[in-house]
Amino acid sequence: MNGSRRASFGTEIALLFVSLLFLLPVLYLATMSFKEPRIFYKPLELPDRLYLDYYKEALGTEFFRSLLNSLLVTAGGLALTIFVASMAGYVLARRKERVFQLFFYLFMSGMIIPTVGSLIPLFKLATFLHLINTRTLLVLLYTAGFIPFASFLYSAFTKSIPRELEESANIDGCGSLRMFWVIIFPLLLPATGTFILTNVYGVWNDFLTPLIFLNSPEKMTLMPMIVQFMFNKQSINFGPVFAISVLAMLPLLLMFVLTQKHMLRGLVMGSVKG
Amino acid sequence: MNLNRKQYMASILFLIPAAAIFILFFYVPFLQSIYYSFTDWNGIGKPRFIGWANYAHIWKDPHMTDGLWNSLKMAAFGLVVQNPLALLAAVLLNRRFRTRAFIRTAFYLPVIISLVVASVVWGQMLQYDGLINEVMVRIGLESITEDWLGNVRTSFPAIILLTQWQAIGYCAIIYLAGLQAIPQEMYEAADIEGARGWSLFRYITLPMLMPAVTIVLFLTVVGSLKLFDLPYILTNGGPGTSSYTLFLAVYNAAFKDNNYGYATAGGIVLAIFIVIVSVVQLSATRRKEVEL
Repeated sequence: MNGSRRASFGTEIALLFVSLLFLLPVLYLATMSFKEPRIFYKPLELPDRLYLDYYKEALGTEFFRSLLNSLLVTAGGLALTIFVASMAGYVLARRKERVFQLFFYLFMSGMIIPTVGSLIPLFKLATFLHLINTRTLLVLLYTAGFIPFASFLYSAFTKSIPRELEESANIDGCGSLRMFWVIIFPLLLPATGTFILTNVYGVWNDFLTPLIFLNSPEKMTLMPMIVQFMFNKQSINFGPVFAISVLAMLPLLLMFVLTQKHMLRGLVMGSVKG
Repeated sequence: MNLNRKQYMASILFLIPAAAIFILFFYVPFLQSIYYSFTDWNGIGKPRFIGWANYAHIWKDPHMTDGLWNSLKMAAFGLVVQNPLALLAAVLLNRRFRTRAFIRTAFYLPVIISLVVASVVWGQMLQYDGLINEVMVRIGLESITEDWLGNVRTSFPAIILLTQWQAIGYCAIIYLAGLQAIPQEMYEAADIEGARGWSLFRYITLPMLMPAVTIVLFLTVVGSLKLFDLPYILTNGGPGTSSYTLFLAVYNAAFKDNNYGYATAGGIVLAIFIVIVSVVQLSATRRKEVEL
């Protein structure tokens, strides 16, 4: 905001100091990943050259397979959510009949009901459906978890779209499905952007769901892979664990730097609409 | 008429995919969990109905009780320390200054980093020969060096501090979004009336910020109750039960001990706590919002 007041020089210095404290663990992580074994356990010594062996070792592991799995479940979970929640949110905003109101409250109750107790029945259900240890299951679970928030978001955004658009499309003989995807969905793009930019990190960084529902290394996503890698090699050395952590963090770090402005704007929009 | 009927059917068709996924993977397991919590099910055999036995046992199980107690302590700490600090940070970050973009990024960075990666690096920093102690020794504080995660007194406080590192930035960003939504004219009007500094904050900023406060307090408490990753990776609840959280106790009961019925009861207790907190807290702060 341009109208906001200027901070004093002292405040700026204090904030800079605190923000460096916030950055410290990240900088430390990056530094550690380049420290040769000789100085690895001397926390205050900095590397005098770029030591890349940890990265070589990290890349020699299941890294790329896990990266691909993380990409698949993240993209899949967000895409399926966008697909089903945009349609649902649109309908919930437009229809006033009791059935639809009922579904609105059903979805919204999902924002309060925690899934902790459901993990075990879910495990059994997934086994019954032959979905255990599949990436499809993760996609479905993320979608189920996102539906309350996403359909609420889409429903809030739909209200800002004039109804006349749909009516005229209908009169022109445009079917509902085509009308939605060709006319409405593109107008809901800000909601889609907000949803992706504020939730992609949660899926990418998720540890618990793959830990419980995946067990074969071929399906494993990045976060549980890092932990397994760490617990397997604990006695040897942490270097490769740090290198993998940096690599696993990098894609979203890049995305964050590139989209930060949009994300903040999305949060502002979300908080105003909500 | 015909068109309306067609539209009605189309609407139902639009709703079906989301409803099917949500009901199958959210509601069905949730309802089943209520049933399993009254059984002695171990995952293989037939579940046998045992009434309230699981629930009664929770209060005698130090993993569960210490876990719950820890989560409540963390929530209290979050409310008293993390929220005021986040609000302060947001107010300051809303001012104009040259390095603002950099500082905002620094504050928000911990939020996008996974708890797994955070655990990896903090775990190393908190070791006995790690960075924190090394710095302490260098500045002459040798007497308070500690194996921070291996000590009953310090393991959970260390985890609390670690969560603050992540949560403050997140809360600050929500507050910042709330601050930016306050119309500037309100400050100008108050300025003409002669309001300054603290009273501007007390009578304009804070009331206008109540919706953000509602969200942040909710996230703080629910986040504390749901904490799992950090203690799982850093301490596995130890030493003893000192850094257990209720979620970790539930996880271990289910997937380590195959005590599914009991674990589900723990999950239900946790769920009830979360629902109570949500309802009490949302209605309390919502009332504050209406008063304006």
